[in-house]
Amino acid sequence: MSMDPLLEQLLTGFVDESQEIYERVTRSLMELEKEPAQGARFDELARGLHTLKGSAATLGLDELADFAHRMEDVVLPLRGSAQPLPSQMADAVLKSLDTWMARLRATAHKGDLPDLAPSYTLLAQVKPSANGERKSEANGEQKPAANGKANGEHKPSAAATLAANVARPAEEAEAAASSDDTSGDSWRVSTRQVIALLHEVERLREVRLRIDERRRDLDKALQQLDRLGIQSETAEARALMLGLRRALTADGEEAADIVVSMEDGLKAISTMPVRTVLEPLRRAVRDICKASGKLAKLSVVGSEVSLDRRVLEQLRGPLVHLVRNAVDHGLELPEVREARGKHREGALTIRVEQQGNMLFIEVADDGAGLDIEGIRETALRRQLAPAEELGNMTAQQLQQIVFRPGFSTKAEATEFSGRGVGLDVVRNQIQALQGHVEVQSVPGQGARFVLTLPAELGSSPVLVVRCGEHQLGLPMVAVESSRAAKSADLRVGRSRVQLEHREQLIPLQDLGALVGLRQPEVPPDGAPLLILQSQGRRMALSVDEVLGDKELVIRPLPMEVRDLSAYQGAATLARGELVLILRPDWLVNLERKTEAGLSGTRRALVVDDSLTARALHRTALETGGYLVHTASNGRQALEQLRHSAYDVMVCDIGMEEMDGYELTVAVRQRAETDSMPILLVSARDSDTDRQRGTAVGADGFLTKKDCVSGRLLSEVSAVIARRKGMS
Amino acid sequence: MKLQLKENGFAAELNDLLQRRAERVKPRPAEAVDENLLWVAEFPVGEETYAIPLSALRAAVPLRMVTPVPLSPPHVIGILRFQGQILTALSLASLLGGRGWREDPAVLLVVDPGFGRLVAVDCERIPKPTGVPHAQVEEARARTSSAVCEITLPGMRQMSLLDLGRLMDRRNVEKR
Repeated sequence: MSMDPLLEQLLTGFVDESQEIYERVTRSLMELEKEPAQGARFDELARGLHTLKGSAATLGLDELADFAHRMEDVVLPLRGSAQPLPSQMADAVLKSLDTWMARLRATAHKGDLPDLAPSYTLLAQVKPSANGERKSEANGEQKPAANGKANGEHKPSAAATLAANVARPAEEAEAAASSDDTSGDSWRVSTRQVIALLHEVERLREVRLRIDERRRDLDKALQQLDRLGIQSETAEARALMLGLRRALTADGEEAADIVVSMEDGLKAISTMPVRTVLEPLRRAVRDICKASGKLAKLSVVGSEVSLDRRVLEQLRGPLVHLVRNAVDHGLELPEVREARGKHREGALTIRVEQQGNMLFIEVADDGAGLDIEGIRETALRRQLAPAEELGNMTAQQLQQIVFRPGFSTKAEATEFSGRGVGLDVVRNQIQALQGHVEVQSVPGQGARFVLTLPAELGSSPVLVVRCGEHQLGLPMVAVESSRAAKSADLRVGRSRVQLEHREQLIPLQDLGALVGLRQPEVPPDGAPLLILQSQGRRMALSVDEVLGDKELVIRPLPMEVRDLSAYQGAATLARGELVLILRPDWLVNLERKTEAGLSGTRRALVVDDSLTARALHRTALETGGYLVHTASNGRQALEQLRHSAYDVMVCDIGMEEMDGYELTVAVRQRAETDSMPILLVSARDSDTDRQRGTAVGADGFLTKKDCVSGRLLSEVSAVIARRKGMS
Repeated sequence: MKLQLKENGFAAELNDLLQRRAERVKPRPAEAVDENLLWVAEFPVGEETYAIPLSALRAAVPLRMVTPVPLSPPHVIGILRFQGQILTALSLASLLGGRGWREDPAVLLVVDPGFGRLVAVDCERIPKPTGVPHAQVEEARARTSSAVCEITLPGMRQMSLLDLGRLMDRRNVEKR
């Protein structure tokens, strides 16, 4: 059947729009099963159904418009009710929504249209009568689904079959959604090509930076001309250069805009938020709970992370499987949980975290945990390993058997987690993505499946903070809140500082000290504090400034620094500079390494505006056993000296902002540092420099060419000894 | 309209600089194609002259936009972006065991040390290409197993040829 090309084009957009509305309405229906059918949530449900109806009618899809109208008929009479939506009604509308979505997709892809008649019947059965009662209520339907009477006369099969029927169309809708990307009007583009394009964007960003450099060079040339004064010989050249500078500025800005829009476009093409895969799991959990009589709450952490579409699509199946397993095999029935001292409602948690180029997904439940003896017996019965070997296996080794092909037992299989598919399939699917899956279980406390996958693409929200002259990023998933420091809330002990936060004492750490930039400082009043949480631990982190949150693509660090456990990776900020992303688990698990505790360690402050000079001085001084802090200018050095004491300062003379002489004078003027040994270093070797250094109060002078390790150390020792001799 | 550059419009210093640049971009002399020569990039580290095979040199870029990496080993200057990749910038003088230097390095050499990824090392000046007889290189290499092999050039000029792979080998760096 041919379709009007315009309609065909419009339909594609309508499918996407409807998918979003479908997800919103599904979420609202599930929420309204638990809370009164009123307020903003009900409005969202009503609005969603109305939009589906109106948009379908606009496109001439009368059957779908009418069908949406029937769903409205069922739901709208209950607006304002103090009671939640009846469960059977929610089931019927959810199932009808699935069918509606499946029919729309089939229309768009010219596939076989699902029959609407069964859904019409289902809706008719739950439609409230004029007095607000539903037809089926006369039969007293509100029994738990597990009793097997959930659907009364209309559903002759068992409760599990009902729930399965409700669940299946959702899968079909997912399957249809998944197949959309591989058929129809889309292009097939390999991931490699997209990544190559991303690298090209990076190059374009560098070109943009070079344009800025050229403009700065031009500025310098103009300044030189200005120094000559406006002369007739240079007027023309100056005018030309000014024009060139304006053009370069405009070109730079345009290039920056192009970089941003290309990045956004490529991100939209190659990634999608992980919630698109996780949100439908709420529905799966609800359906299994209804069928099994269990109660469960699914919490998702990190759903805002955007990931490679290809990876996400292939994760759908394994995640559905793990969640079904967790509810069906892991969580106990409410009364059993109660008897074991647990909350009647089981807790399911999915946690997503991207660290550098690795993606971690954890599916955890607080159920009974893996039955180690049951696994051993099943493995023996199915001859998965010799009896002797099984007898010698540790609990950890036995837990891994659940991933072996054929482990799934018929006795344990149910409508939801059996289905002839074992955890070996999950493992195979994850391995196909070059990942691996691990399980950890504690009897009576629950099980935890951790999927680890490479993730070349994807972005995460990151909070960028400043610490000294460094910018560092913290994954937002770990940032619980932020607040200002108040001395009344701080408990300063000899070896640690704690913060009273929401009636709890939590450790407080200075980020600058943690990353070795300075000695620990107690934050002054008003200083920003971040409350972090990771791996069940909480801490407060003091930083110098919070610069804001950004959606960043975190990339792995190069091999030479990849072993540093403090960092997940690095990301590029808008102006092209790299920012290091800290690893929250490193921060919260770090035992406070108090430099104050290193009582015998000598401390040196290196002040040099050259990054390489600082690295070289550090190399030499650390070899000699010094703890080295660095500053890139005089102002920073004075700030460091205000908070910390040093045994020696090694200072470059030729710094731009405040030279070494000026810094020495400033240091000598402060009572706390007036006798601190100071060694001046310079690229120039002149007597004048030496004499001037001595005149301003320096204790020694060394040329940079003489700064070989041994020589620098001996000079440092000499200036320290000279100062001691003077005192 | 074409901008006319007048020679007397520039300072002598600038003219010298342009002259040097022009010299540098001049085509290599005929003997440069001599297959018996190993072409190296020669540069100073303090008072000494070092060189790396020209084939290992990918680019020379200004030492800017390097992000320091707190907690990294002291020979790591930081990380930088280069053609879409993130590279580590290393201090050559530090890798060489703590050498002095005459000028604060202003250039980064992007090099391929031969283990499949690029690395940047700092350098006081833009290197210049020099041809060294292969035989002399082989002879010098035969005398040492270290990352630095010393070659005596005509005029008794000393040059240390670096084996970057060996120099940056993690085990060697840790030993130092």
